[in-house]
Amino acid sequence: MNSSVLTGTVLNIQRYCSHDGPGIRTNVFLKGCSLRCKWCGNPESIRVKPELSYDPKKCKGRECSLCLKPPLPQGAFYFTEGEEGPVKVNWDLTSGIDESMSSLCPTGALEMYGKKMTVDEVLAEVEKDASIYRSSGGGITLSGGECLLQADFSAALLKGAHERGINTAIETACNVPWANIEKVLPHVDTMLHDHKLTIPERHKKWTGAGNERILANFKKAYETFPDIDFIARTPLIPGVNADEEHIRAVLAFIRPHKNVIDYELLPYHRFGLGKYEYLGKVYELDDYKTPSDEVVQSLQAIIDEAFGRTGKKDPEQS
Amino acid sequence: MVGAGFVPGMNAVIKGAALAAGELGWEVVGIRDGFEGLLHPEHYPEGGLVPLTPHLVETLDPAAGSLLGQSGRIDPFNVRQLNEDEIIEEVDQSDELLARLKEEKIEALISVVGGQGLTICYKLHAKGLNIVCVPRAIENDIASTLVSFGFNSALSFTIEMLDKARQAAQAARKVAVVEVLGVQSGWLALQAGIAAGADAVLIPEIPCDLQTVAAKLKEKMTNRRSYGLVVVAEGAKIVDNSQVPANKVPENTLKASLSPLAAGDNSTYVIQRSGLAAETVANGLQLLIAEETFPLVIGLWARGGAPTAVDRQLGLAYGAGAVQALNAGQDGVMVAFVPPAIKFVPLAEAINKVRTVPADNEFLKTARSLGICLGN
Repeated sequence: MNSSVLTGTVLNIQRYCSHDGPGIRTNVFLKGCSLRCKWCGNPESIRVKPELSYDPKKCKGRECSLCLKPPLPQGAFYFTEGEEGPVKVNWDLTSGIDESMSSLCPTGALEMYGKKMTVDEVLAEVEKDASIYRSSGGGITLSGGECLLQADFSAALLKGAHERGINTAIETACNVPWANIEKVLPHVDTMLHDHKLTIPERHKKWTGAGNERILANFKKAYETFPDIDFIARTPLIPGVNADEEHIRAVLAFIRPHKNVIDYELLPYHRFGLGKYEYLGKVYELDDYKTPSDEVVQSLQAIIDEAFGRTGKKDPEQS
Repeated sequence: MVGAGFVPGMNAVIKGAALAAGELGWEVVGIRDGFEGLLHPEHYPEGGLVPLTPHLVETLDPAAGSLLGQSGRIDPFNVRQLNEDEIIEEVDQSDELLARLKEEKIEALISVVGGQGLTICYKLHAKGLNIVCVPRAIENDIASTLVSFGFNSALSFTIEMLDKARQAAQAARKVAVVEVLGVQSGWLALQAGIAAGADAVLIPEIPCDLQTVAAKLKEKMTNRRSYGLVVVAEGAKIVDNSQVPANKVPENTLKASLSPLAAGDNSTYVIQRSGLAAETVANGLQLLIAEETFPLVIGLWARGGAPTAVDRQLGLAYGAGAVQALNAGQDGVMVAFVPPAIKFVPLAEAINKVRTVPADNEFLKTARSLGICLGN
């Protein structure tokens, strides 16, 4: 197939991002994930297929009531007795709703997360900021979900970006077959990758899958693609992985590989809570709090030391 | 089959159904862990199905956990599994479930479920399954029945805990603010609050002004009575809490970058963590009154323990009622207690309704006449 007309399911394209690779970047979030992390901040990115979202703040209530009529499924939307609205959603009855049905909502309260886009359509959006990429050293970052699940689409996007002189990065957990990784990495300049937990059983408990394949993929990627800048990351969740042992285990894994240029900590901020309500999903990490500044700083100090950034200026290096 | 979410005394329903079916000469089997015992019998060396003979159920301990276990939020329409590439995905196994029921020669299903479980049973019924549901809800928020199984035990336990909280407040000369279960319905907070003699009860159905609560506490608290007890349901709505420090995380670029469609943490639709209601009310009140406040959370404690006499009777009646429904040729119904009768309500009428406290409810009138502040 002509790669420019290849389509993928895109969740969102976000311009002017500064945390996912060098410079100012455009993040392209692809839909579909291979893990189910309990702290997930992007619940709308988990399923591969487009899915319904509902924002009650936009609902006009009983005066509209269009969603109570066919073709929308009977019982999927309802009002509580004595209340004017907003309409309530029985999420277990919404699985058959598609774009054509959600578009019947005149207020935009019902929308689909995710739409099909071609490589050219995405690149046209990304190219709008080409001058900013040039001046800042930025480019495109594919994120998700798990962008490596849509390997052909991702590879075509990043190849197209390179052909246009745009720097490329991906953000991945690498819980995919090596064949997917092999397709995409030849077109990648920077790979941000998550080391979520060290112990396989605990990784499985908190993310839904063990980390054996993930770690094997990381190692193979470091060795097979020496020119890529790899940046390791950990979403820091107190009581789950915000501990010295995990940080040291990650450092022991990455430091022998000189193309792993950094290790970043992402303190957990209960990112996606509002969206769980929009999707009717249950948030399973209810009572966890943001890690304290002291914890983050102490763990960051371990990383800085491992990377030779102790804060003391080395006269020989200056 | 027992759905997700535990309540005390589940064995009473199992016993009621098994004994009533035995009387009719029917053979009854229990499915372990929701639908798991049927969909994945290989996980159970002793078998995924448990023959529920009258002999077995006669000696069931009503205070023990469910003989059948219960599902951990397993929805047969949405089962998480690994595909051939070892990628996690959710698949619809409802057809497989129906086939397995047929394979095991199970002609009808009695399901002990909460609100979400009712919808799942409604969908299975729409696919042809002969099914009767028994309502189970700690918060008593399932509509069409006066009382759901499990509520009375939770109520009894909550009253006991409120008594202890009041004694602690009395000893410390402080105001105890106790959070109890109830996201959408305030039955547990209201009925327990009345029984324990609370000074104020804040429920989701009545938006509450902390100034009003503070004024009531000031009126009630004297040198000789320098303590107070405020009961707050998890879902209580505080009208103007601008004086309360908001637990909000400011929007920042890192958050936006990681979470493209992020709603703010201060959104109305954020799922609140357990304990937040008690903390919010305790902090807010302390700014308005002279006394110190302290938050306590009953939360999941109310889900355990032994059932009350009422729940033991209700469980047996609901279990037997489910068998009566099937014997009467009714299916696709929920067993409901509408005094003085056990009735059968079509599932289509039982779903999508929440049993909330109406404005003219007798318990509200009682609370007001006892001088309990309801926050409005």
